[in-house]
Amino acid sequence: MYIFQVTALLIALLYYGNAQTSTVAVNPTILGSELSADGLKQLAAIVAPQSPVFHPSRGSYFSLNLLSAFPEDLEVSDYCVELLAIFGQRYSTYVNCLVSAARPVKVCQNCYGSYDNLMDIYTNISSDQMGPGNVSCRDSLLRSDRLMLVFLLYNNMEDIWTGSECNSCVSLGLHSLTNDTLYFMATLNQSLRCFEKFQQGNHSALCKECKATYRGLNELYSRMEKNRTLCIDIEDSMNMTRRLWSKNFNCSFPRAENVPVIAVSSFMLFLPIIFYLSSFLHSEQKKRKLIHPKRAKSNTSLVNIQDRLS
Amino acid sequence: MANITKKVSWSSRGDESGGGERTPLLNGSEEVRYTRQVGLCVCVFQSLDYDNSENQLFLEEERRMSFLGFKCLEISRWVICGLIGFLTGLIACCIDIAVENLAGVKYYVVKQNIEKFTEVGGLSISLILWAVLNSAFVMVGAVIVAFFEPGAAGSGIPQIKCYLNGVKIPRVVRLKTLVVKVCGVICSVAGGLAVGKEGPMIHSGAVVAAGVSQGRSTSLKKDFKIFEYFRRDTEKRDFVSAGAAAGVSAAFGAPVGGVLFSLEEGASFWNQMLTWRIFFASMISTFTLNFFLSIYNNKPGDLSSPGLINFGRFESDSVAYNLYEIPLFIVMGAAGGLLGALFNILNYWLTIFRIRYVHRPCLQVMEAMLVAAVTATVSFAMIYFSNDCQPLGPDQSEDYPLQLFCADGEYNSMATAFFNTPERSVRSLFHNPPGSYNPLTLSLFTLTYFFLACWTYGLTVSAGVFIPSLLIGAAWGRLFGILLAAITPNGSVWAVPGKYALMGAAAQLGGIVRMTLSLTVITTVYTVLIIGNGLYDIHIKLQSVPFLHLEAPATSHWLTAREVMGAPVTCFNRIEKVGTIVDVLSNTSTNHNGFPVVVPVLGKICGLILRSQLIVLLKHKVFVELARSRLTQRKLQLKDFRDAYPRFPPIQSIHVSQDERECMMDLTEFMNPTPYTVPQETSLPRVFKLFRALGLRHLVVVDSENRVVGLVTRKDLARYHLGKHGLEEMQLAQT
Repeated sequence: MYIFQVTALLIALLYYGNAQTSTVAVNPTILGSELSADGLKQLAAIVAPQSPVFHPSRGSYFSLNLLSAFPEDLEVSDYCVELLAIFGQRYSTYVNCLVSAARPVKVCQNCYGSYDNLMDIYTNISSDQMGPGNVSCRDSLLRSDRLMLVFLLYNNMEDIWTGSECNSCVSLGLHSLTNDTLYFMATLNQSLRCFEKFQQGNHSALCKECKATYRGLNELYSRMEKNRTLCIDIEDSMNMTRRLWSKNFNCSFPRAENVPVIAVSSFMLFLPIIFYLSSFLHSEQKKRKLIHPKRAKSNTSLVNIQDRLS
Repeated sequence: MANITKKVSWSSRGDESGGGERTPLLNGSEEVRYTRQVGLCVCVFQSLDYDNSENQLFLEEERRMSFLGFKCLEISRWVICGLIGFLTGLIACCIDIAVENLAGVKYYVVKQNIEKFTEVGGLSISLILWAVLNSAFVMVGAVIVAFFEPGAAGSGIPQIKCYLNGVKIPRVVRLKTLVVKVCGVICSVAGGLAVGKEGPMIHSGAVVAAGVSQGRSTSLKKDFKIFEYFRRDTEKRDFVSAGAAAGVSAAFGAPVGGVLFSLEEGASFWNQMLTWRIFFASMISTFTLNFFLSIYNNKPGDLSSPGLINFGRFESDSVAYNLYEIPLFIVMGAAGGLLGALFNILNYWLTIFRIRYVHRPCLQVMEAMLVAAVTATVSFAMIYFSNDCQPLGPDQSEDYPLQLFCADGEYNSMATAFFNTPERSVRSLFHNPPGSYNPLTLSLFTLTYFFLACWTYGLTVSAGVFIPSLLIGAAWGRLFGILLAAITPNGSVWAVPGKYALMGAAAQLGGIVRMTLSLTVITTVYTVLIIGNGLYDIHIKLQSVPFLHLEAPATSHWLTAREVMGAPVTCFNRIEKVGTIVDVLSNTSTNHNGFPVVVPVLGKICGLILRSQLIVLLKHKVFVELARSRLTQRKLQLKDFRDAYPRFPPIQSIHVSQDERECMMDLTEFMNPTPYTVPQETSLPRVFKLFRALGLRHLVVVDSENRVVGLVTRKDLARYHLGKHGLEEMQLAQT
């Protein structure tokens, strides 16, 4: 679902970007004072049925008519438009990569490069350094409207990156996977090879033979869990392996000692019964000495009480 | 007199004790009867003197005290309340940390063991290990309670209720009780019993208050010579109610709840200044706890754990509810009430059995250990045979996940409920995402925990019943939520299990302890507080405390003071012979505490003097003859009475020589010259109201000529209660 939304946004962005680039070439005489309310309506009627469908050429053509140019100083500079185009490209590359690595999850190992690129261009856009022609694209691209689309788009990708905790698997400069990750992959492959080898035939043989490698993998995983060097790739592959091991090959521990557990439990449950019975039978009851309270000798009242009680 | 049939007030064997138990009366005065019934007024309980004795010494002191002195008193009241709050919060903090660590170690050891034996076999050894560890902790807790300080058993809330009501339960506010209470509660919670650590906090707060406000500790024989003015029952009661409020507030992080608790328990002596002082104490206590816990958690300044109970934060929209859900909540409330009533009945029978047969300390310790072992066994069996496996969450909300026979990467969901301290189980029931428990697991858990908790309450360990009832309620509430989501179309959208768990918890707690006005406060701050008629009243009744309820029993207007009062009354003359006084005080069979003082021949009342005052007078030998011979003798001051408070020496320890017996004692200066009196025709409810509202201990009944004809005490009133056959009268008994 999420990916679809992202793609839709991306498409929208491209559309928007095209519109922006084309605006520069718009002839101001067409769209000027003569653009009446009626004319707008007409245009909208033409554009509306087509807008959901992605027609780059025609779309840009119609949007040309929609947008009038703004005065020079409010325009987005060419430099920024260029940056935006690069951002769009890299963005789509990254999203494509993510989608293709969605299942089984390999987003960290496959896409760290494209994420790095995306991050670069975004840093470029958002930096307050002046580009050529003394323009800063930060204000014009990132925060000139309510939607702040570029920011929103990047933010989504950043969320995906942090959510998958890829930083723990990729080395600091996003240039390569960490050694831990590579080692884990190697160990995982070892286990999987073992599974493959014994898959045919009796699973109990597999359980016995692959136990050592599988246990090694498990231990490595819990060590990494403690050190917080896990990312979604590792977690997912471990989950899959565990499911293979426990569910497919049925290698988890059997419930084998029902009898001793039941015996010990019933013995324990029996103890209080003995305790209460014995204390009921042997313990002597606590008795209390009654005191007779001093009372005024008033017969009428006593009769009264007795009437009440009987 | 022999022909009065006294109805046995309530006893499951009423018919038996009514018939065979009674020996025929030969002599009305020498009657000695034995009974095994439990519904009695027991003479070991004395009343507190909430009514101030306005004798001449008191007036003199008041006259001497300057305006500034009164201001200082007021300020020191506030200081004391601050101290009470601080110390209570500190104690709560210690309990929390100790329980957390001990339980952590225990569960870690058991978990390691289980993991080891799951693989190689021999899980029954883990079961035994768990049971033994539990029993060991509980044994320590039960031994210190049973052998050193039986007063520290239970949650202590019944005792504090009695104290605020005006009944002095022996040793209830001693330092020793506090120490035993704190250690006991740590042991019993760490021992895995189905108990909570919140109830005892209220008792602890009250003890702290009683100690701090006196500025000394008689147990440690240390007198700081401060706060001497507050050494009497009236002042002490105010502070004890502040302490109880501080305890509630530390336990639940709800200062307002604390104030409400004290308000409901001690409403008869309430005033606004006291409200603010109590609120101050409550605030200080929750702040202290919060502050020190934040330091302990290495997050100094992050004040997010205001109470011992910490249910975590609910997302605001997960507890949002709709109009159509209100009938459901009402149904849940009714279910909570029914289950609570069932709990109380079962516990009532069990307690009667315990009072009758399990009253020797070593038996009590054994019982507690057995309960601990069985709790471990049942939990283990439940976990062992459960097939409910859930995937481990990313946030590791399970503190001690047990895998057992589940697939790798999954944990046993029964273990989150059983293999945990009860408080954490409540939290996971509230907050774990939908689908963390399957209905079968929850219903089994509810059922077993219900009986375990019912069995556990009333053991000789110090522990509270809040958390178990919350846990039971949360479990069936969550079950209800899950079923609701399953049977209604798009129910999974609004039937958030956590919300129903919260509602169930509130309903169950209300059902068991019959909480009244505080429910509103509680649901807002997710804390809970008890004001109960339910379980606590049952236990007060079973301890045979002469407790005065809110109202006199209905249909008692026909009873007049003449029938209720004790008569004849032992009176003293205004100038009385020392020998007479000593003899009366030494008479163990009567053991009276207040004596009307009368004008010699006429018998008209002119004052009331207390046993404690007489003892101090005898100790200082304030005799008329001695005063004449030694003119320089220091005059007795109110301070001398205060120094002896609250442990006045027994009469046996005071030596009076033969010569001194012939001396005379002038009581005029020391007696309360204006005791409350009522005419003989006053109805019981009227007398009752006087007692309840003024906190009286003795009420003199006089005839039309102001002569003393009788004396009404608390026991005379508490005897009457409304039973199946109309008004019934309880027996009096010694210990």
